[in-house]
Amino acid sequence: MMREADLEAIIEDYLNDKLNTAEREAFEQLRKNDPIVDHKVVAHKVFLDAMAQYSTVVKLKEQLNHAHSQIDVDTLVEAYKPHPSKFVQLWRSNKAAIAVAASFLILAMISIYSIQNNSKQAGSFEAMSQDLAQLKRSQNNLIRNINSKNSSANKTPAARFGGTGFAVSANGYIATNYHVINGADSVYVQNNKGVSYKVKAIYTDSQNDIAILKITDKSFNLPGLPYTIRRGLSGVGEPVFTLGFPKDDVVLGDGYVSSKTGINGDTLAYQVAIPVNPGNSGGPLLDNNGNIVGIINGKENKTDGATFAVKSKYIMEALNAIPQDSLNRKVAYGKKSQLQGLKRNKQVEKMQDYVFMIKVYN
Amino acid sequence: MNIKFNNQVPTDREVVLGILNNSEDALNKLYAAYFPMVLQFILNNSGDEDEAKDVYQEAIIVLYNKVKEGSFELSSKLKTYIYSVSRRIWLKKLTQRNKKTSNIADFEEVLVVDDDLEQHEQKDLQFDKMQEALENLGEPCKTIIQDFYIHNLSMQDICEKFGYTNADNAKTQKYKCLQRLKKLFFNN
Repeated sequence: MMREADLEAIIEDYLNDKLNTAEREAFEQLRKNDPIVDHKVVAHKVFLDAMAQYSTVVKLKEQLNHAHSQIDVDTLVEAYKPHPSKFVQLWRSNKAAIAVAASFLILAMISIYSIQNNSKQAGSFEAMSQDLAQLKRSQNNLIRNINSKNSSANKTPAARFGGTGFAVSANGYIATNYHVINGADSVYVQNNKGVSYKVKAIYTDSQNDIAILKITDKSFNLPGLPYTIRRGLSGVGEPVFTLGFPKDDVVLGDGYVSSKTGINGDTLAYQVAIPVNPGNSGGPLLDNNGNIVGIINGKENKTDGATFAVKSKYIMEALNAIPQDSLNRKVAYGKKSQLQGLKRNKQVEKMQDYVFMIKVYN
Repeated sequence: MNIKFNNQVPTDREVVLGILNNSEDALNKLYAAYFPMVLQFILNNSGDEDEAKDVYQEAIIVLYNKVKEGSFELSSKLKTYIYSVSRRIWLKKLTQRNKKTSNIADFEEVLVVDDDLEQHEQKDLQFDKMQEALENLGEPCKTIIQDFYIHNLSMQDICEKFGYTNADNAKTQKYKCLQRLKKLFFNN
């Protein structure tokens, strides 16, 4: 009996690694020689492991119970218990899905809203054909405000506003924008060489923002016009260019037709992507073949490079309204232009004598 | 639904390190952090708060053992793991009670934790066996064994606590108790 108890104690010490080296070797020898001892060792190990695991879990449960006692379970139960309303239950269990659905809905509404809004152009038109009746001139117009530095010393009064125009006949008919000359006391045009001519308005069309001027000097004459007026419409993406007088020398602007309609879908005008400045108003818009496709008349104030041009058809309409026998060698309509096939620099060179700075005094 | 967890939710790393270092604080934080989640699940799936407590504690034990074994990898969120284990334990209990488990209201994402649960059930079986054996052991043997093996008292302490005249008597008593316990444990 005592021997059994001792053996058990030794086995336990052995398994717990409490024997010294000599005792350990002796015991291992005994274990090797005696299968019964070996069996007891294995069995006791299983038991001790189970006991250790049991002990761990018991202690852990004590700790967890302690942690549990610190939680206000009743409040939580009140908060989490199944809600009598099916709707609230549905909401609780599908919160994530509902959130996703809701965000999609909101997104869709925002997109629809923005699409609707985008169909209107956000910016406003700077040349303001609607406000043309106003005598008061707006700086939003693409009309250059020429302030002479020494106007007081100068005998000739300084031009207040400037724009661009272009010859539509060899005997001095010049097309420009109505808003450039509107409300003017006197209007002069100045050619590329710096020579000024007095002009008078022969025809004005506020609806299409077109004005036809006539140089009063009867001796004025130009060689045949190099450009023609284009019969058809320009397509989106077609390269176009314009010449204008935002400063005292002629300036070339290059771009393309970006829309077949002007501001807010105005079918009278094109939208072109050409950077323009005050003073470009009334300038001719030409395609690569040297056909006039429109007259620059304004830009959108919120978007860079959104310029508008009156379509060439309305220039033709304006010309047709003038007594035909007074137009000597007028600009050809739908014919082949002399500028066709030339490089841009040659086209500009040939054209610049036909483009005028409009100087307005009032 | 303005319910917030009362305590700060510890980071997953904090919990794992806490368990490995036997930190009581980490365990308390862990317990407080995810109990409401499991409570909500059990309450909404035909259980009560006491069952929620049992299930939740079992899930924590599964996690604890897994971490201690070094086989826990933070591949998923701890929260998801605890939820999945609790859910699996509760479904099993429902099945045992012949209650339908088809229409479970879920509140979190669920992981497959069958392997972990199988391991746990093996251990749980051993635990139950040991518990039963101890219950059947009777006094004073049960207390002597528990003092020695669980509360790590020395034979000298036990000798004094139970008023044995000398340590050898205590040792003999413990030996007898141990023999009976082993018999109960192995022959059950």
